[in-house]
Amino acid sequence: MSSSRLSSLAYLAWRAVGAQPAKRIAQEGTGAERFEKNYAAEGLVPTTDQDRKVAEAASACVACGVCEARCELMAATPHVRALGLHTAFRLYSKSTTELPWAREALRACESCKGCESACPTGVPIGRVIRQLLDRLERLPAPAKAGRREP
Amino acid sequence: MSAGAPGSVAADLLVLGGGLAGAVAALTARERGARVALVRRAPGASALSSGGLGVAWDAEALPGEALRSRRGWLESARRLAARQPEHPYAVLGEALEALPAAVAFTARELGALLAPPLERNRFLATANGAALGCALCQRGMVAGDLLEVPGKLAVADFRGHLGWDSRLVAGGLAAFAALGGPEPVALQLDLFTGPGQGLLRPHELARALEPPGAAEEAGRRLREALPAGAGAALLPPVLGLDPAARVPERLASAAGLPVAELLSDVPSVPGLRLQAALDERLRAAGVELVEGAVERAEGPGEPLLAGGREVTAATWVLATGRFTGGGVVRRGALREPVLGLPVHAGGEDPAGPRLHSRPPAALTQARCFGPQPLLAAGLRVDRDLRPLGEDGRPVHPRLLAAGAVIGGHEPAQDGTGLGVALLTGWLAGRVL
Amino acid sequence: MPDPAERYDVVVIGGGVNGAGTARDLAMRGLSVLLLEKADFGVGASGNSSGMIHGGIRYMLSDRRVTELACRDSGYIQRIAPHLLFRIPFLMPLASRGEEATLVERATWYATEVYVGTYDKYQPLKRGKPSVRLSAEETYALEPSLRPGLRGAVTLDEWGIDAFRLCALNALSARAHGAVVRTWTAAREVVREQGRAVAVRWQDALTGERGEARTAAVFNATGAWSPAFARRHAGAHVPMRPGKGVHLTLDRRFSNYGVICTAVDGRQMFLMPHETESIIGTTDDDYYGDPDDLEASNDEVEYLLEGVESLVPGVRRARVTRAWCGLRTTIHAYGPAEDALSREHALHDHAAEGAAGLLSISGGKLASYRAQSQEAADRLVALVGKPVRPCRTHEEPLPGGDEVPDPARLAAEYGVAAPAAARLVYRHGSRARAVLGLVRDDPRLGLVLCRDEAILAAEVVHCVREEQVRRLQDLRRRCRLAVGGCAGTDCARVAAQLAGRELGWSAEQVRAELADLLEVGWRERRPVLDAHQLVQEELLRGVQAGLGVRR
Repeated sequence: MSSSRLSSLAYLAWRAVGAQPAKRIAQEGTGAERFEKNYAAEGLVPTTDQDRKVAEAASACVACGVCEARCELMAATPHVRALGLHTAFRLYSKSTTELPWAREALRACESCKGCESACPTGVPIGRVIRQLLDRLERLPAPAKAGRREP
Repeated sequence: MSAGAPGSVAADLLVLGGGLAGAVAALTARERGARVALVRRAPGASALSSGGLGVAWDAEALPGEALRSRRGWLESARRLAARQPEHPYAVLGEALEALPAAVAFTARELGALLAPPLERNRFLATANGAALGCALCQRGMVAGDLLEVPGKLAVADFRGHLGWDSRLVAGGLAAFAALGGPEPVALQLDLFTGPGQGLLRPHELARALEPPGAAEEAGRRLREALPAGAGAALLPPVLGLDPAARVPERLASAAGLPVAELLSDVPSVPGLRLQAALDERLRAAGVELVEGAVERAEGPGEPLLAGGREVTAATWVLATGRFTGGGVVRRGALREPVLGLPVHAGGEDPAGPRLHSRPPAALTQARCFGPQPLLAAGLRVDRDLRPLGEDGRPVHPRLLAAGAVIGGHEPAQDGTGLGVALLTGWLAGRVL
Repeated sequence: MPDPAERYDVVVIGGGVNGAGTARDLAMRGLSVLLLEKADFGVGASGNSSGMIHGGIRYMLSDRRVTELACRDSGYIQRIAPHLLFRIPFLMPLASRGEEATLVERATWYATEVYVGTYDKYQPLKRGKPSVRLSAEETYALEPSLRPGLRGAVTLDEWGIDAFRLCALNALSARAHGAVVRTWTAAREVVREQGRAVAVRWQDALTGERGEARTAAVFNATGAWSPAFARRHAGAHVPMRPGKGVHLTLDRRFSNYGVICTAVDGRQMFLMPHETESIIGTTDDDYYGDPDDLEASNDEVEYLLEGVESLVPGVRRARVTRAWCGLRTTIHAYGPAEDALSREHALHDHAAEGAAGLLSISGGKLASYRAQSQEAADRLVALVGKPVRPCRTHEEPLPGGDEVPDPARLAAEYGVAAPAAARLVYRHGSRARAVLGLVRDDPRLGLVLCRDEAILAAEVVHCVREEQVRRLQDLRRRCRLAVGGCAGTDCARVAAQLAGRELGWSAEQVRAELADLLEVGWRERRPVLDAHQLVQEELLRGVQAGLGVRR
């Protein structure tokens, strides 16, 4: 056994009997609280069963664009319209770290459901959008989510 | 038509599927006086149509062969049937000779949208500057047939929008000049240059050309840009969403020469038009439309539950499409979801049904271009379009299949997809 | 005719992370460098790695100085490319076999906690978050998709990266510092005179152009190709035990947290979020075939899915979009199972084999590419024997790495949608401004080509102009064109049109490039064609056939 390996093991042993118990005593809050503090602000939030179910339904999209012709998004700016709500299940629903950027687009949806009956693969578009809006509301307050400071 | 419990439907023929095959089957049966119900979950793959409907092209033509000397779609279909015994054209045997009748019927039924067919294929340009042979096409595409342009072909794009590139199209079409096509000339129309217009989606561009004056203004811009000797003009496939707005006609009249659209990719405005035309025709013909996914289906004669309604008919036509339509699904293994019929992949292999659970790599080849048995998966049928069970015998005497749900060909790739749809749809609709 | 004046201090062969990183280092030190890549940046093991800049937690047991160095280097990479990294929290579930956890199991859990807790000591070097021990209840609250019966979890913080862009940025930085960078250009021959490598003959695969570059040193950084390369060109030996690593991609982030799973054979594997997708990895099997002929097998796909399924039962319902593979260039060692082989790198000087001036690299890992490159550059500088400036690759930002602009402000400033600005900032850092500047000059370039990745026409044009795109498939690696689930269904045509206009392609070339793009993606999609992805393939093939794209 090499000396570096011996010293590594000895060091780990010391950590086990000394440093780690001390760390346990010193740390504040439950594990979940500390975890959330580390990650929630960056948009790295849990995915519920409901979120996942809707995501699975959104995965049926094959990018044919038929739904777009049924979606006016009249209230939106040209650039939001250019991405379209099609993007709701092709980009926004893929990642909570992208989701905050989609607020304007998702809110432009008037829930007319014109798109839903048009989808050849049966994506429940209205349900996806409602769920994304709901998930957006559940995201922690700092709007900086999705962005890493350098 | 309805009878019995509220919301329930009794019909002579039940068609499952909202695409072209189902629509043709329903319309054919209606014409013969049958009561027809059509159950559909969503629009079929027809909404993704390019605007051209391929039946078969001359795969044996030499690279330098003149377009005019190439075989027509019927003869090409016959030769394809001889080459590929598992193709529906081959399976149908002599019934393949009904192709002209089926094509003519479809063109007539959708006469407001589709132009009457010729015996030869029309050679229509794609946005990549290729040309594809189509037996049928939308009326607004006819003038772009490379064999019908009297003079130069002006290829136009929009100055304000990067979706299409006329130099690319014209550059590609130049290769056909030596084969009997026109000399293409690229030009740019001063259109869609307003704020935000460069971001418009195809259907938005199409709608923008519909209002009074818009198509005329586009036509005037086109006339100003035309080269000397232009006999027709080719534009991006966004010349109006609603055929009733007559955008190509108005544009042509203002420009002073025939205009045509390119074939489309997705999202497809011509596809949306085809879907709308099918809808309108089905309603006008008195086909009972039942919207919704199938919740319960046991077979012909038994009540089928879809969209909360019960439909009963002694004869069923399964026109549920392939993968996009949901007529064949694969989750670990290939499956026909409505009735659990055996799905075949791998052509004529007698072990066909057992191939359904083989891994994708075993049902495909390493090279992308070429036949892929997995993508040609579907039902096997007899000459009368009755799906075959594991034992090779028809599953039910009054159960038929039409369109892409029938395997043995790759409808999206081999240029015969809509030909199979309308031929088998037409034949299935005459079963009564 | 070869240009007789073509003379360099070093010719680097291979545009993977080692080749590109070393070329950058050498160019920044003031040497003249030629980088030859027979395809495109990162097409081998680099781009097909797990895409992680981890801190070498595994080395804590053998030599924790290695861990410290790795964490420090991970920190450097963040400093030079802050836009390109994203955080991946991992859950390491704690399981027991029986109803009651045994003492040994509890001890193992504590050992895990201590081990990761010790790693925490180095986390600040890479801006990592400390680990947390979670109860069973907390674990299920964070990740309800985990199988029942777990006793808790320990968390671990690591960084992910777009490995293709990392390679490209290193090469582009080398170019900016004066290196000549040639992609789609193969080294045909290493010319030797009196026991020295003195020149490299190359040929451009696209134009057929040939050349001969005189040089003082040659760096063979051709990854899995390097044993064959050294043998063929120098009669030299590079010991290597190539290991095939297969990954699967899911179409979306299954979860924001990665999970460490155990495969059927006891190997550790993972399901992790990566950019907007998820990655399952990886296999590790000896591979002795042609490195150009790599494709995932059905067995490998099943192995990976089964391994994750044992911990995340719902994973089979997710849409698998592709299976992709690379070859680890693991250092040769007789005996140990593949997984235990060291990922350490080695440099081989071939002077004793009659090829002085030729240096090969084997082994190594993506996360330590910068340190590996620095070491290789030191050796090459010694071979060249010229005075040079000191290494600065840990300080000077990669292109775009000098600033991470705020997407919301960019979106407002340039009038584009915020999600598009956010993706641009991720991929291009401060150079997102250059991309958006194109939109300001020509608003048509704000056209959205891809709704999976929010790729704008401007980004395609920018990549083609500034990032050495020579083929359409290069855009897969520069801006993820046609890489997502849609595989180019609705974006590839216009992207090809725009690239073709910039590069002067004919209509036939445009269609050939589209066919090539389809073919490259097919290799990855074919092993996983199921459910929605099979529907997509049908549509994709139909659309491309309808455009006249064929071979």
